[in-house]
Amino acid sequence: MSNWERLVWNQRGLLWQGLTVTVEICLLAFALAIVGGLVLCLVRLHVRPLRPVAVALIEFFRATPIFVQLMWVNYVWPELFGWPNSFFTSGWVALGLQSSGYLAETFRAGIEAVPRGHREAGYSVGMSSFQVYRRIVLPETLLTVAPSIVNQFTVIVKSSTLVSVITVPDLMLQAMKLVNVWYEPIEVLTATAIIYIALVFLVSSAGKALADFHRRRFGLDSA
Amino acid sequence: MDAVPAIRVVDLRKSFGALEVLRGVSFDVPRGSVVSMIGASGSGKSTLLRCINRLETPSAGEVYIDGEPMGGRLSDISRMRRDLGMVFQQFNLWPHMTVIGNVIEAPIRVRGMRRKEALALAEECLARVHLSEKGKEYPARLSGGQMQRVAIARALAMQPKAMLFDEPTSSLDPELTDEVLTVMRELASDGTTMIVVTHEMAFAREASDRVLFLHNGQIEEEGLPDQVFGAPRSERCRQFLSKKLQ
Repeated sequence: MSNWERLVWNQRGLLWQGLTVTVEICLLAFALAIVGGLVLCLVRLHVRPLRPVAVALIEFFRATPIFVQLMWVNYVWPELFGWPNSFFTSGWVALGLQSSGYLAETFRAGIEAVPRGHREAGYSVGMSSFQVYRRIVLPETLLTVAPSIVNQFTVIVKSSTLVSVITVPDLMLQAMKLVNVWYEPIEVLTATAIIYIALVFLVSSAGKALADFHRRRFGLDSA
Repeated sequence: MDAVPAIRVVDLRKSFGALEVLRGVSFDVPRGSVVSMIGASGSGKSTLLRCINRLETPSAGEVYIDGEPMGGRLSDISRMRRDLGMVFQQFNLWPHMTVIGNVIEAPIRVRGMRRKEALALAEECLARVHLSEKGKEYPARLSGGQMQRVAIARALAMQPKAMLFDEPTSSLDPELTDEVLTVMRELASDGTTMIVVTHEMAFAREASDRVLFLHNGQIEEEGLPDQVFGAPRSERCRQFLSKKLQ
């Protein structure tokens, strides 16, 4: 019986479990990153009194290593806010917050890239500022930044391996468990790397396909 | 003749910092008439047009639409803008909406029209610009001339009291300008009130009721097309035209 069969194939249930945890954490983090990024960006651009807060948060999320943030959310937040109450939650919240900092800047670039004339065309048919924002600026921005948003998802997937250090049973943790049982890292870790490559490849191809589609259909280049 | 002009501009002034772009411009656009504005780049033509629908705020002076002063609160400005269709040099179609989507957007969102009515109206407007078959396309798939005609249809869909054209053919290849000018000629002969900022001298001469020549933020010459083009009184206007008509 080969090592591949013994260490990888026969353990596929465990690895699969890990993979589902990884996917769950990434999706939750991704959702948080989009919502958080949009809120931070809109506050930064349009809520004058709160602007410094938004800028500080964006810079904080972008400038701190994901490892530090994970520790910070996991150990400091429960002391300060009594939340999160599980490692799993700490994991996706930390991942989501970091990406929200990056996405906030992506959204801002996208909003600023909407040509002034597109807004003026809205004003000149009598639309209100709110209507112009909701019907023209935001949809156009979402289309231009969609490919970049998808690519940010690959960053989340890769960073997500770190949640294993706070004992979230993701793919990486399950793989390390197997390694630590038999002390035979070659097959398990290679298989793990291949799974991550496949995941990231899948997501980035989706991003590229989306960018191509948007260029063809709407003539929009991604921000 | 109607006493209240569709658009009346009174002593309009506009400065950007120390730069005085408009130095007191006054003119009337009677209902159903076409006024062309010509002049060199930087003479203030576009700024004047943009001051009329308040995309720029004038420094002084008044604009009246159908006798009502333009200005006041933002909501008043928005309401009055409905009656002024604007066509831009850069078309400014909304890329994320289909051609039909671009045309029905304002009737539905701003006029509160039902979708079904708006669609019927859009079809009519697209027919007027000869693009009935392009309704389902996205703007990115159209030529410049087609985009500009959609932009005209979008403005017409608000059934405005007047149309403002800001160099509508200046970013088009020469072979595409004709299709846009044809549509504009048709609008003019249908009795649409229009102000047209243009470098197309032939259009200004044939299609307009009055021609204004702007120089340094003032109306330097004004009159019937044949008079302005045939026998300009101002030396500057003569020079401008001789360069343009070479």
